Amino acid sequence: MLSLVRGLHANPPANVRVIVNEGVRDGSITATELKNIYTGRTNYWDGGEHVVIAVLSDSTDEALDEVSGMDASEFRTFWQRLVFSGRGEEPRTATDAGSLVELVASTRGAIALVPADVPLKGVKVLHVK
Amino acid sequence: MFTPSHLKMRKTRHRNKGLFGSALLLAAIAAISIGQSRAADWQLFGPNAPDIEFHGFASQGFLDSTGYNYLGASKNGSLAYTELGLNASFNPFPRTRIALQGIAYDVGDAGKYDPILDYAMAEYTFNDYIGIRGGRIQRPQGIYNDIQDLDLGRTFVLLPQAVYDARWRDFYESLDGADLFGTIPLGACGSLTYEIYGGVIRPSMDGGVALEIRNELPPSAHLDELNTPKVIGGQFWWNAPLDGLRLGAAGVYIPSFTFTNSFETPFGPIRSVTKSSVVGQQYSAEYLWKAWTFQSEGCFLANTSRLAPSTNEYDLGWYASAAYRFNKWLETGAYYDEYYIQGAGKATLTSHSDTFQKDAAVAVRFDVTNRWIFKVEGHYIHGTALLEDNALNPERRDNGWWMIALKSTISF
Repeated sequence: MLSLVRGLHANPPANVRVIVNEGVRDGSITATELKNIYTGRTNYWDGGEHVVIAVLSDSTDEALDEVSGMDASEFRTFWQRLVFSGRGEEPRTATDAGSLVELVASTRGAIALVPADVPLKGVKVLHVK
Repeated sequence: MFTPSHLKMRKTRHRNKGLFGSALLLAAIAAISIGQSRAADWQLFGPNAPDIEFHGFASQGFLDSTGYNYLGASKNGSLAYTELGLNASFNPFPRTRIALQGIAYDVGDAGKYDPILDYAMAEYTFNDYIGIRGGRIQRPQGIYNDIQDLDLGRTFVLLPQAVYDARWRDFYESLDGADLFGTIPLGACGSLTYEIYGGVIRPSMDGGVALEIRNELPPSAHLDELNTPKVIGGQFWWNAPLDGLRLGAAGVYIPSFTFTNSFETPFGPIRSVTKSSVVGQQYSAEYLWKAWTFQSEGCFLANTSRLAPSTNEYDLGWYASAAYRFNKWLETGAYYDEYYIQGAGKATLTSHSDTFQKDAAVAVRFDVTNRWIFKVEGHYIHGTALLEDNALNPERRDNGWWMIALKSTISF
């Protein structure tokens, strides 16, 4: 039952913020829309900009697990399948949370999940409804 | 299907091809190492132009079997199991993406490293509900059809051959045409993902279909030509509200598949044309639960001869698999599959073991790094219906046999 609830309401944990590049027009997002992005079902923002997912490399990411329903290894394999079948583009990676913020700030259409205590600069926080 | 009277001897080039494959693989490794072991983003047209993203992979396998030669000259150990791929994609305009991929493969006598344009397509996404792509596109069918080349995307060295024949990818994977795709939300019932396509298939004279036809022809016959058959079909996935569960159904229809062969006679060659229509169905279930992946699929292929008297051949295949990931570098899995030939095709077979093949496999996958994996796999196989190499397997007995498969893949 827990996994059923998780599937329907893939909210990120409370100590995590959803950040996007400042060029993204959207100001808020639903939990379902967030899951659709991380599972490759939504590839474009409302303005038509291509969604670029940014994640931490080589780490266990509970927020990613919660939002996508996949652990880091499954998530990587899942996106490799999309990339090599021509149906998606591989998420960009950063080595730490600070670099992840910089990556989102410098990449059009980028989105990432970052700890709430990480200083933010040049990015926009998306409100999860 | 073949009959023993059709047995013919052909020169075997497996060992040379294995060496060639190894050389090609080393070249790919060197190219990747000299560059960067990660995806490359190039801005070829200045900083404001869209990024072009490049990815690639190179796989080398090794097969060693008892009893029979399968997917190459495996009784003596075969390196003729190689896959190479390179792709590029970019988003030139809003909601628009262009992607292309080239591959080359060699599995036993199939493929022969002929470069294949796997896909080259333009895609426009109107919204989440509907998009369209055209060009050479990947044909969706089940969990793995469009990613058969991608060793990274699965636990196993060999996909269950009862459903995904490693030699037939030139026929099954791509088509020239268009498809509509999208995801329709179903509220509390989850969502429905769909792809509906139409176009033509361009099978290779070095691919699995050509190989099977040659295998069935009598020694005096020569395969001259395969046509470019039209194809329509679709794939539907119900993404259930239970997290990680999806159920799929796919259908494909090829109204007229034709091949032409000629027979040498004392009075000159005689040409013969064989026409058939093909209807395929595939049903799939996948459930991801914690570190487990459970999958099961079944397929049914009806091949109806369009010549009088018309005959029908049915191929049935299914498998069930489970895989468990212990940590980020170790994963293990097992599957069991069965394949049967029914109808007119079965009637032409004189050996009982040529009417079926059952395979139980256990695999271990090591993710040495995010970009380099290594797999070890053991098979116990009963039946010979999928051998499709009469020259290398002149005798069939109704016995079980073993095979070990090793494979390593690098990607960027």
